[in-house]
Amino acid sequence: MGRDIYAVGVSPDGPYIGDGRFDVLTVDHATGMQMLHDGSVDLYMDGETAYTRSDMRSQYAAGALKKYLENAETTRLIEQYDINLSFPLRIEVSYLSNAASATPIVTAAPAASPLASNTSAAVKEQIGELQNGGNKKFKAEFVSDNEVIIPSLMNPPIPLSQVVLAFLYIVPMLFMGIFFNSSFMEEKTNRKLNILMSAPVTPFDIIAGKMLPYVVFSLAVVIAMTLMLGGNVLMALAIFTPVILFIFAIYLMVALVYRTFKDQTFFSMAAITFVTGYLVLPALFTGINSVSYISPLTLAVQMYRGESFGLAEYALSAGPMYLVFGLAVFVGVRIFNEEYMMGFGPLYRKAADAIYLAINKNHVYVSIALLSLLLIPVVFMVQMVIAILSLMVPVNLPPMVFLAALLSLCVIVEEVAKSAGIATLLENKRIASAKTLLALAAASALGFFIGEKLLLYLSLSVVSNIMLIEALGSADLLIIPLVAHFVFTSIVLLLTRKLGVKYYALAVVAGSFVHFLYNFAILAQEMGAMQ
Amino acid sequence: MSGFYAIINKELTSVRKEKTIVLAILIQLLIAAFSSVILVGLMSFYDPGSIGQNTNIHLNVGVVGDDGGRFSSLIKEAGLKATAYASVDAARAEMQAGRLDAVIVIPASSSGVVDMQLILPQSDSRATVVTMVLKGPMMKYENYLRELNGVHVRYTGVEGKESTTYEFLYSFILPMLMFFPAFIAGSMIIDSVSEEVENMTFDTLLSAPVSLNAVLFGKAAAAVFLAIIQCILWLLLLSVNRLYIQNPLPVLLLALIISAFVTFGSGLISMFFKDRERSQFAYSILLMTVAGASLVVNPSPVSLMARLAMGDARVGMLEASLYVLPLLALIALFCLASKKLLAHNV
Repeated sequence: MGRDIYAVGVSPDGPYIGDGRFDVLTVDHATGMQMLHDGSVDLYMDGETAYTRSDMRSQYAAGALKKYLENAETTRLIEQYDINLSFPLRIEVSYLSNAASATPIVTAAPAASPLASNTSAAVKEQIGELQNGGNKKFKAEFVSDNEVIIPSLMNPPIPLSQVVLAFLYIVPMLFMGIFFNSSFMEEKTNRKLNILMSAPVTPFDIIAGKMLPYVVFSLAVVIAMTLMLGGNVLMALAIFTPVILFIFAIYLMVALVYRTFKDQTFFSMAAITFVTGYLVLPALFTGINSVSYISPLTLAVQMYRGESFGLAEYALSAGPMYLVFGLAVFVGVRIFNEEYMMGFGPLYRKAADAIYLAINKNHVYVSIALLSLLLIPVVFMVQMVIAILSLMVPVNLPPMVFLAALLSLCVIVEEVAKSAGIATLLENKRIASAKTLLALAAASALGFFIGEKLLLYLSLSVVSNIMLIEALGSADLLIIPLVAHFVFTSIVLLLTRKLGVKYYALAVVAGSFVHFLYNFAILAQEMGAMQ
Repeated sequence: MSGFYAIINKELTSVRKEKTIVLAILIQLLIAAFSSVILVGLMSFYDPGSIGQNTNIHLNVGVVGDDGGRFSSLIKEAGLKATAYASVDAARAEMQAGRLDAVIVIPASSSGVVDMQLILPQSDSRATVVTMVLKGPMMKYENYLRELNGVHVRYTGVEGKESTTYEFLYSFILPMLMFFPAFIAGSMIIDSVSEEVENMTFDTLLSAPVSLNAVLFGKAAAAVFLAIIQCILWLLLLSVNRLYIQNPLPVLLLALIISAFVTFGSGLISMFFKDRERSQFAYSILLMTVAGASLVVNPSPVSLMARLAMGDARVGMLEASLYVLPLLALIALFCLASKKLLAHNV
């Protein structure tokens, strides 16, 4: 990638540049300087001296060349000199305090850690790593793994290679998901599913039966890849099983809800983008920011770096995925009827019908409370995506405005999650009195409250001190009294009842507005306290 | 000709109705968001200087046993604060009190090898940042020690801006953004053609006074039009994020050619296989193969796109236009094949 992106002039006694990014021309000094001046080369290298222009392009070319030459020199030093002469500086790293914050459930074998008494061994080992390509490259790149730092052999701590590795796990899973989805769609449009439905099998049997082969194959791929890379198979299974289930949950919903292939193509694409982004991006920040633990891939990266992680981290990243899968299968079973699956309708209509079908009409209160509780992971993920999206907004906005915008979006998501189920009941005229409505609102608020508390407990033990999370309401703000939740949901529902379900969106906005004011007041207070 | 426009209009309306374009743009918005996160991330990983700029980190490093102050001055050169301490314990105590971010202990060297000690904060992320920021001074000190040992390191005077983010943006993100709409266009034309074939609506369409090729070209034009609109949106979006692209016209021309190429290619595929499932499958496989094979060409579309956007003086409109030739060949093939492939449907 990026071949010949820089043009470089080199004097006859200049360095050899064997890197595809550089288009190298050998020219004498006068010509070289002239070419540099008129822009036909970005940099001129006369012997050991580099001449550049002041524009960005020339400066970037110099930066790229600097890095290349540094590496080339390191290789030359390794070949020509004794390591005590060529790598005279070894830095032994120790940490101020060893108080571990997380209880490691898995302690990876120390990657043949060098003896502190003889740092030459560490130099040799790191040179070996540099020269060895292959699988070794994926391991032990992190500075803190090597308890001895050799400055010129030190790699940046970005876990890019491990992230790429983790990404490679995802690709076959996505393919399996698409195959599963296609096969499901095929049977749906061919009406083969109808025949199955009339057979004496439950919807769960059909869904599970159709999914199982693809899931098993995905698991087999995980095992095979892990064996090939020399990782820990059990740990890899623990990490990737929730990912597989999450992907299949999404594809199951797409297959059940959408009718035409056109829709399905685009939603599959959307799903791929969403899943890949949600999983891969946080993993890039492994070790830098604890928010990275929202993605299980972070754990995989850690596994391949030979680091350990705690049970809380596992629960935070994998938990929501298991729950989303559970929810998807449950909803899938409930909506598994011909009328729903073959019916046309816009997305919100389909979603509303699905929620309505998912509610057990004999145990309405329990259903509503459970629904609110189970939607928490979904809410959490959507809020995370909003937070990530918000990062792309050019940050010229005053932080308060920015935070307010972020907060209002998140509040809307929460209010919808709490009230959608009851709104569908309203729509189907299942609720007679205002009293029932309020009781349902209380049940929903309770369910949401419990879920939130669980999440709070988890995320506080993993993530700490991140303003974004606090702003999202996952930290201090999460401790909104139960009553407050009840009030906001009631506002939404009473308005919906009064105005009619048509104006549900309006009611949500109204409820969210009150919720937002409440959150913002608390946030402002806290920020005041901080200053 | 009016029939041709009617077809384009029909395709665009059907796309709008299905809200697919909204979705496609949303997807890309997501990618854009993600890529800017990656950019910021990469910037801080590879360019310790930018960590300082972005987060206002003013590290204070305690140095023990730095005779002559060589290392301290290198630290100061890097814009950090260095404080000398007489003993390790004193420095450690200061660090415990939160007044130091790291402590470096330099022993007296006897054999030319220096076993330095670095005490880092316990927080993983903090320690990473400190290590990254200290890498520069440490490398300079290493080179100094090498010279003392009689090992000459060449090219130490080359200085420039950290280029990783720059290269990543122009040679990965931008080509991806410019070519992704083309992939959507290809997928779209397959859906559209195979739907007409499967529903046997081609006959109905052709009972109107339009030729088969006019119908197909209308479909293709709609797809390419959408793709290029997305590309333009992209460039605008990037400039909102203060990432500016040089040579926007050749860049868009190249994007246009690529999306037309993919569109006509996938049109051929869908006419050949006729059903959607197989066409989409063949399309993804072929797309990957062709994209891979295109890297062999010099300059490949990806690298040409990167160089145009970077403002490389050696490429311009002419190089971008050269890609019209394979496109024309493909279109010719498309025209010749369309009648034959769809013969028994029409």
